[in-house]
Amino acid sequence: MRRKVDAAIGKTPFSKHFQRFWQLYVMLILPVAYFIIFKYLPMFGNVLAFRRFRPGMSLYGTEWVGFRYFKMFLGDTAFWQAFRNTITLSLLNLALTFPLPIIFAVLLNEVQHWAFKKIVQTVSYMPRFISTVVVIAIMGELFSPSSGLINNLRSTFGLGPIYFMNEPEYFRPLYIFSGAWQYTGWTAIIYLASISGINSELYEAAEIDGANRFQQVFSVTLPSILPTIMVMLILEVGRLLSLGFEKILLMYTPSNSAVSDIIDTLVYRVGLANQNYSYATAIGLFSGIIGVFLVAGANALSKRLTGDGIY
Amino acid sequence: MKVKDTSTSSKIMNVIIYTVMVLSLLACLLPFVYMLALSLSTPQAIIQRKVSFWPVGWDTQAYRQIFTYPNFFRAYGNTLFYTIFGTFIALVMTILFAYPLSKTCLRGHKALTKMVVISMYFAGGMIPNYLLVSALNLTGTRLAMLIPFAINQFNLIILVNFFKALPIEIEEAALIDGLGYFRILPRIILPLSTAAIATIGLYYAVFFWNDWFNGLIYLNTRQYPVMLFLRNIVNGTMVLGNSSSASTDTASLSISVKSAVIITSTLPIIILYPFLQKYFVKGLTVGSIKG
Repeated sequence: MRRKVDAAIGKTPFSKHFQRFWQLYVMLILPVAYFIIFKYLPMFGNVLAFRRFRPGMSLYGTEWVGFRYFKMFLGDTAFWQAFRNTITLSLLNLALTFPLPIIFAVLLNEVQHWAFKKIVQTVSYMPRFISTVVVIAIMGELFSPSSGLINNLRSTFGLGPIYFMNEPEYFRPLYIFSGAWQYTGWTAIIYLASISGINSELYEAAEIDGANRFQQVFSVTLPSILPTIMVMLILEVGRLLSLGFEKILLMYTPSNSAVSDIIDTLVYRVGLANQNYSYATAIGLFSGIIGVFLVAGANALSKRLTGDGIY
Repeated sequence: MKVKDTSTSSKIMNVIIYTVMVLSLLACLLPFVYMLALSLSTPQAIIQRKVSFWPVGWDTQAYRQIFTYPNFFRAYGNTLFYTIFGTFIALVMTILFAYPLSKTCLRGHKALTKMVVISMYFAGGMIPNYLLVSALNLTGTRLAMLIPFAINQFNLIILVNFFKALPIEIEEAALIDGLGYFRILPRIILPLSTAAIATIGLYYAVFFWNDWFNGLIYLNTRQYPVMLFLRNIVNGTMVLGNSSSASTDTASLSISVKSAVIITSTLPIIILYPFLQKYFVKGLTVGSIKG
C-alpha cells in the first residue's frame, strides 16, 4: 500500500516503480505500436498534400511541391461544388434532424404504460445497428419506380412514377429522412437519461401551481434538459462537415451528382478511383482542418457556456 | 412518480403521444416487413404492384435461388470470419490498452492519454490510410479488414472509464497474495467487467458485420463481405448468376432476390438485437465520452 502511494506521487525511483508495474508496461507495447502505425503514420501521411507521390516509392511522396495541389483544387469548380454541397447538406441536416430526438424523448417520457414504452424504445434503437448498405437497399426498393411501395401508392391515385433515387431534387430529402429514421431513437436515449434525472418534486410543485401535463413539458421538462440540448448541439456543430460519406457514396448516381458530390466523395473519386493521391490528400487535409477548427471552437464554446468541455 | 391526471388536456396529450409512438413503431418496423413480403412474393405480383406488407403468392424461390449462388455463401462466410476475428482482435487490443491506461500512477500516463485524444482530433485522411495499408502489403489480404480497425478510441475510453470505476481493494488484495498484473487482468478484472466488454464487443461486432467500404478498396472479389455483395447487387455491378431463367423474369425476380439478400444479411442483427439490447444501450450511459 505504502509503495503504491509513493509511486503515485512519483517519489520512488523509476527502477523500483518499474519492478512493480513492468507487466502493465508490457501490456502497452502492442496497443501503442498499433497507435503509432495505424493512427499516427496516416496522420503524418497528410504531408503528401505538399509532396509529389510516385507509385512504388515512399508513401510520404518524393519531393516538396509546396501549395501546388492546394492552388489546383482552389481553382477547380468541382471542388467548390462539392464544398457548397457539403455545407448545404450539413446545415439542412442539422436544422431538420436535431429537434427530432428531443421531441421523441419528451413524448416517450410521457408514456405511462411501462411495457409499451419499453417496446417503443427497443424498436426505435434498432435502425442504428442496421448497415448503411441495407438502409439504402431498402430505400431503393421502397422508392423504386417500377414496383416500389411509394410509387404503387402514387399510381393508385393516378400519378405517374417518380425515380426518387435518381432525381437530384430528392437526394437531400432522402438523405436527411433516412438519417432521421436511423438515428432519432438512438439519440433520444441521451435526452431520456437527462429527463429521468429531473427531480420529481419539480413536477409536483408545477402540479400544485395548476400546470397541466402540456404546461409541465414546457415549464419543467424542457428547461431542465436545456444543458443537455446545448451540449448535443455543440457536439453536432463540431461534426458538421463529417457527413455520412459511405451513405452518400451508396446514394451517388451520375444524374444526382450535382447535389450529391460532397468533399469526401470527391476525395474518393479523385484519389482512389483516379489515383491522384497528392491532390486528393490536399482536399482531404483542407476539410480535415476545417473540421478540427469546428470541433475545437465548439469545445471552447461549451467550456464557456456550461463550464465543461466535451473532450 | 407522477400523479395521474384525468383532465381534458391530459387526454389530448395522450392521444398525441400514442399516435406519435405508434407511428414511430410502424416506421421502424414496416420497412423490414415490406422486405420480407417482397422476398416471399412471386415476381409477377411484384411487377403488377400487388405487394405491400403481405407476401402475394407465397414463393420461396428467391431464397432457394440465393442459396444456389456460391458467391453468396462465400460472402456470408467471409463476413462471419471478419466479424469473429475482427471482434476478437479488437477486444484483446482494447483491453490490453485500457487496463494500463486506467492506472493513473503509470509514468507517461498523461502522454498516452493525450496520444489517444489527439488521434481523435487529427485523423489521417482516406488516402494516407489507403497508402499505409498498401505499403504494409495488406491489400488483397483478409488482414486488411481486421488489423487497421483493432482499436476504436471511443470504445477504448468507455472501457478505461469502466476500469477506473472498479474498486481497487480487490486488486490490492490480489497483489498482496503475490499475483502479477498478467494474472490479475484475466482472473479478477475481466470477470468483473463482462457487461462493459459485452457492450464494446457488440459495437465492434456490428462494425465488422456492417463494413463494406474497406472491402471495396482493399479486397479481391473472392474476399468480399456480404454487405459489399449486397451493394454490388443493388447497384448492378454484380449480375447474379447466369441462370437459364427467361429474360423477362430476371428484372422482377431480382427484386425478390435483393429483398431475400437484405433479409438474410440483416437477420443475425434483428434476431440477436432484442436479447442484447441492454448491452447496446449501456455504452452510451456507462461511458460518457470523457478523456
